[in-house]
Amino acid sequence: MIDFSMYGQKEPEVYAYKCPDCGTLYYPAPMICKKCGARRDPSGVIFSSWEQVPLGGKCKLLAWTRVYALPEGFDVKYLLFGIVEFENGLRASGRLLVDNPHTGMELEAKIGVVKEKVGEDIYGFMFDIR
Amino acid sequence: MMRKITIVGIGHTVFGNLSDFDLVDIMSFASANALDDADIRKERKIIEQVFVSNMGGGMINHQAGIASSLVSRIDLEPAMAELVENGPASGSSALKCAFMAIASGMVDVVMVTGGELMRTVTGWKGTDFVASLLHPEVEYNYGLTLPAFAGMFTRMYMERYGLTERELAMVAVKDHENGARNPYAHVRIPCTLEAIHDGENAHVVNNYIAEPLRLYGMCPVSDGAATLILCALDSPKMKYFKKKEPILISGIGAATDTHCIHNRKDPLELKAVRLSAERAYEMAGLKPMDISFAELHDAFVILELVISEEVGFFERGKAKEAVESGATRIDGNLPINTSGGLKSKGHPLGATGVSQVFELVKQLRGEAEEGRQVKDPKHGMAVNFGGFGNNVVTTICSKE
Repeated sequence: MIDFSMYGQKEPEVYAYKCPDCGTLYYPAPMICKKCGARRDPSGVIFSSWEQVPLGGKCKLLAWTRVYALPEGFDVKYLLFGIVEFENGLRASGRLLVDNPHTGMELEAKIGVVKEKVGEDIYGFMFDIR
Repeated sequence: MMRKITIVGIGHTVFGNLSDFDLVDIMSFASANALDDADIRKERKIIEQVFVSNMGGGMINHQAGIASSLVSRIDLEPAMAELVENGPASGSSALKCAFMAIASGMVDVVMVTGGELMRTVTGWKGTDFVASLLHPEVEYNYGLTLPAFAGMFTRMYMERYGLTERELAMVAVKDHENGARNPYAHVRIPCTLEAIHDGENAHVVNNYIAEPLRLYGMCPVSDGAATLILCALDSPKMKYFKKKEPILISGIGAATDTHCIHNRKDPLELKAVRLSAERAYEMAGLKPMDISFAELHDAFVILELVISEEVGFFERGKAKEAVESGATRIDGNLPINTSGGLKSKGHPLGATGVSQVFELVKQLRGEAEEGRQVKDPKHGMAVNFGGFGNNVVTTICSKE
């Protein structure tokens, strides 16, 4: 895992969060566990802040698209996006680096720059061929 | 026993590029049209409450306090006034607030005006503005957009149920056929299967936007406004509304679903659509088979098919058969998107839900234009879809 603090970056949302009471994993982190109702407190002052669990590695492509009409801040002809399922059952949306993907293919989730803003790079999931 | 609430006035602007006007201008125009339709321009102060629906006034028009501004521009002071924002379902949410305000007994007469002015910014900026509905960190930051999710959703549906691009194009052709006859529609041009799918150059005319969705699989970016005036049937103020037949709001329901699309167990299930419809059916005491026609939120043509399945019109994966058979055309047994839908009529976000119910009222009054009047309708349904299905409102209107 990259240590984002050394770049002075806000930590990207690329972790799963584990409910301390029932062990259910979430991505992204909720404030209340859907399963047991336990509270999460990002400050860790009143309730616990929940353990961060690395998310990444092997995953399976569930859906994908190639988009030609991109929003402000993305100055390229097109980008590919996908939804994947990790081996622990969690799912994530992200950037797809495979040009001719097919549903069900095995991929590797990496962390990379998904958006470049003035003075700030935003990191997120990049899905590529294993 | 809940009060019976009726729609007694309707107004609409043309949908399209209205960027020569300002946001409150177009809202005022629709509102004034509704006052005239209800024949209460002189007695307008009987309106006690105004709900305004809009999504981007603050973000793209740099305007706040829109409801107060509208009330002042059409001389409705001292009516109470608030803005309702629920993304692309803002319009129906504002209608639901009006319904609840009257049902509570707090007021008798309410105006609901929805409007959006998006063509004042570039497509690049507009796409970014709509994408701000998504989860800010795990979706929006990637450059994901609503069309991107619609593309992925369409591919999943095609792979599971064998839907083809040709069948999707048939939905667009049907919607444009209706929209071409609607004077308020943004794109009043019929299109043919030859032009957008079968022909040699169809892939040029109808290029990919978010594979496998093409240009004709998506609604245009539109400006526009629409208005409804509501009155309790038991109110003495009903005496002012003699000109037009009152149309009953027989059922209204809403529901929410997960914000992140990847967190849905089966991403093809639109639970909020199903639940909102069930709640509306229950209130109305009706079943899917009772509905005579429907306005379904086809921001992407795939949604017309899937929503029609979720509300119980067709079995899962079977909506395409209704398109093939012509059942959803104006002269079919369940006409869908008689206005042209979002696909052809356009989709000014905050106006859309109000405009859908405007169409229900027109059809139920028997006032639709030649060639797109449904034969003898009893009950119409509108489904207004917010986010990518995370906040949905269903309304059923009936002849009193």
